[in-house]
Amino acid sequence: MGWFVGFIAGQQATAQSDSATTSRLSNAVSLSAVTVRAIAPERFLAGQKIQRIDSTTLLQFRFASITDALAFNTPLAFKNYGPGQLATVSFRGTSASHTAVLWNGININQPNLGLTDFSTIPVAGFDRLAVQYGSSSSAVGSDAVGGSILLGSTPSWQPGIRLMVGQQIASFRNNQTHLGAQYALPLGASWKLSGKSLIYRSQLNNEYPYTERQHYFLEPSTTSQRGLIQDLTFLHKSGRQLSINAWLTDNDLIQSPQDTLARERTRTQSARLLATYEANRMTIRVGWIRDILDYAKGNLNNPSHTQTNRFITRIEREFALASNRPYQLTLRTGAEWSHYGTRTDGYGGQLIEEDRADLYALLRFQTTRWLLSANVRQAFVTRFNPPLTPSVGAEYRLVQQKRFTLTAKGAVSRSYRVPTLNERYWADLGNPNLLPENGFNLETGLATAGALSDHLNLTAELSAYRNRVDNWTYWNPTTNYHVENLQLVVARGLELTTGLIYTQADWKAGIRLGYAFTRSSQERAYDAYSQDVIGKQLVYVPLHSGTLNTYLQQGRSRISLQMQANSRRYTTFDNSQFFKGSVLANVVLEHSVNWRFMLVRIQGQVNNVFDTLVLGVKRNAMPGRNWAINLIINFPSNTQ
Amino acid sequence: MKKQWIKSIVVGLVALSVWNCKTSDPEPTPYESGVFILNAGNFSSNNGTVSFLSRASQTVATNIFQTANPSLVLSGGVQGYTEVNGKGLILVDNNTAGQDKVEIVDYATFKSLATLKSPDIENPRQVIQAGPNKAYISCWDVSGDFSAGTFYKDPGYIAVVDLNTRTVTKKIAAVKGVENMVVVGTEVFVGSNAYSGNKTLMVIDLNTDSVKERIDFGSTPEPIAVDANNKLWLRAGSALVRVNPATRLTEQRLTFSETPGSVVISTDKQAFYYTLGGKTYQISINATNATGTVVISRSFSTLGVDPQTKRIYGTQNPLLYTQAGYVIRYESSGALVDSIKAEIAPSGFYFR
Repeated sequence: MGWFVGFIAGQQATAQSDSATTSRLSNAVSLSAVTVRAIAPERFLAGQKIQRIDSTTLLQFRFASITDALAFNTPLAFKNYGPGQLATVSFRGTSASHTAVLWNGININQPNLGLTDFSTIPVAGFDRLAVQYGSSSSAVGSDAVGGSILLGSTPSWQPGIRLMVGQQIASFRNNQTHLGAQYALPLGASWKLSGKSLIYRSQLNNEYPYTERQHYFLEPSTTSQRGLIQDLTFLHKSGRQLSINAWLTDNDLIQSPQDTLARERTRTQSARLLATYEANRMTIRVGWIRDILDYAKGNLNNPSHTQTNRFITRIEREFALASNRPYQLTLRTGAEWSHYGTRTDGYGGQLIEEDRADLYALLRFQTTRWLLSANVRQAFVTRFNPPLTPSVGAEYRLVQQKRFTLTAKGAVSRSYRVPTLNERYWADLGNPNLLPENGFNLETGLATAGALSDHLNLTAELSAYRNRVDNWTYWNPTTNYHVENLQLVVARGLELTTGLIYTQADWKAGIRLGYAFTRSSQERAYDAYSQDVIGKQLVYVPLHSGTLNTYLQQGRSRISLQMQANSRRYTTFDNSQFFKGSVLANVVLEHSVNWRFMLVRIQGQVNNVFDTLVLGVKRNAMPGRNWAINLIINFPSNTQ
Repeated sequence: MKKQWIKSIVVGLVALSVWNCKTSDPEPTPYESGVFILNAGNFSSNNGTVSFLSRASQTVATNIFQTANPSLVLSGGVQGYTEVNGKGLILVDNNTAGQDKVEIVDYATFKSLATLKSPDIENPRQVIQAGPNKAYISCWDVSGDFSAGTFYKDPGYIAVVDLNTRTVTKKIAAVKGVENMVVVGTEVFVGSNAYSGNKTLMVIDLNTDSVKERIDFGSTPEPIAVDANNKLWLRAGSALVRVNPATRLTEQRLTFSETPGSVVISTDKQAFYYTLGGKTYQISINATNATGTVVISRSFSTLGVDPQTKRIYGTQNPLLYTQAGYVIRYESSGALVDSIKAEIAPSGFYFR
């Protein structure tokens, strides 16, 4: 949303959400840069759209993967192989490796594949979720071509210790458990500590009572997921802060488990450790990430193995060039260095190492009506030359009244993507001489927020964009599947989101509507058959998609309807085959009660209430109508 | 003759009155005569189809199984097709174990009559007529990991299908990687996929549906066809081999510089077409050395010969199976007729 306040929303209490509009309006005051701990992309991309998924929504998707949370709340399109199986994203008509996924500011895309399997990211794994639309490589770095997904941890400073137990029991003998604690305490006179510990497990047995739906088979598969989160934040009264974040994940997918010869196991494990020190407008981050990918067929004891380690350091310094005037001018400069080491059977088994470095400068100028940003980044990669990546953006408050604002936005940005390790190092097929993909993104929009009455608040945003990516890489069959910079993809689209919230006394109701038109096509002829492909919509990207979320709440009871619809999705490059459009809907009933010293939240949900047939990439049916009961107990009960 | 004519009218009128009571249209038979193109689809996308090409047309009717059966789906690669007594059998190979099937359809309307599924059918490879109302379907069985050597289950099997009951009545344990089958008299000669490593030519007795003999063959035998002299031809390594089906003895071995591809027999069964080194050749069944004559100066991934027109059909695919492939037609002289867009990965023909 606008520059004004949106940026603090993530920093403030997590439970407010529906009132975000009002808080945004009332807090429309300039903020001192020091208090803002939001990571750079959320503050330095003027003119671009950012969408924060509110905490109530996250609580509803508490036991889901991030795929569901995003599919029902954003226009992001997913290429889904089945429940608990590989899910990759297409953001604004780009490919799966064109979305940066940041965890506390660090890109966690799996570097060999250059993408994130969203089925391995449970919503329980983070406190904040925001979606940054459009190219933002200047502020984010590699991969932010279609957009970025921002995951974050938020410390809670409420003193004391709170325990949490969550359990889901769902159809198909699926179940999940969360156990956690949040704590905050003073450490001496000057320091205080906030911490969160969470372990989670889920077991999707997917024991469907049917083997087919409308003559499409369901694929037998099981997924076991385990994870551990440990966040510690030490805050000094001067504002200095040290945080340590750790996230361990282990995702174990077995397809066709019933057949010892044909079964396939994909095990994805990640360890992510991050230490951040913030003081005097300076931020220092040190991170270490290990990604392990094991794949085996038949005999599960001898998988093909991929392991990649990354060591990341980043230092950022912010300068308030002018802050006590009617305008603010902020410069944030940063340098990053990371070291990659990867060992993969497919690269020949030897250790391949490389260094990556980034230098960037982000400038932000703000008056009561204007917000301007100008950013530039230069990345350096061993054996690869990323381009200089600038961006400029502007927002102007066209109407600024006490209860109504209208903001016009525009941004121009270049983007780049460091080719994946597979693209550069895969034995024989990889191409170490790949050129950088060259992305150029234009966008403009209008955003409004207003109080229609004392009880009724409206937000709306309309965006239009054109994102042209040249030298798009392609595993070219003509040259025996060597990777080459062959394609030119142009994505253009429109996005409309509106929200209306009604509040009166004990009652609250809301509706959020999103619509996206996404036209994305390959435009260059590079072989004899490309005439059948040029100008055709990219596969698995629906031309039209929409979401609708509505709820009615009275006191501590709430009924919600979540809907997602999309038009046909083509499955072949020449658009000769497609999956039909579909409408999915979930209904969630929630109620919270205080029982003794506990706060008990019960959710009952019916997923796919219309029993819609949706197909996965392998043309298998997704499950039909199914249910889940979620129980979340917090104690002591004087907490959320 | 006249009597017959009057009889026809009477029968026709009766039929018409009955039909009027039922008020249903007669089943159209859109696929009475023409060419069925078997499209394998893209690996793991399970999107194979059957397209229909009327001989005079340059446009295919796409996915005719879906057209005839809107509520059903093939969902797999189309691996083979044949007809037995007015019924078509479509082999559907899904990328996931347990999801392969055989759709049995009415040959003229393509309306589904029955579906054979796992565990009866697992990795179906070829279907042949094995009697007036009987079909044999060679099946690899569940396949494992190629690099671990478990891809071809040992042995594969042949599913015996009774088209009256539309069920698999028997599974004949066959050879590893079982694939091509050729009927000679009351016997079926069964070979396997060139990569299976199996070197046994198996003979099955059509009357008893049981294995009659296993012949050690030296290299992997891939039966192709029976020629005009009733001799069996197989491909073995880079050679075309003529076998006397009665004595089981090899009569001729034509060894090529490399493995000849897409070998099909001509309509008169006097010659074979094959591809080699980027060209398409013809070679007589009486040849004494492996020197064919060039018919078309390019090669194809699959060849077919239309028995009605003697035209040669070749398939040409874009290198990625993510867009439609083409069928290119030639006169038997090798003169180009036309090029027709099919569906994803055309890789087989059935001419009717």
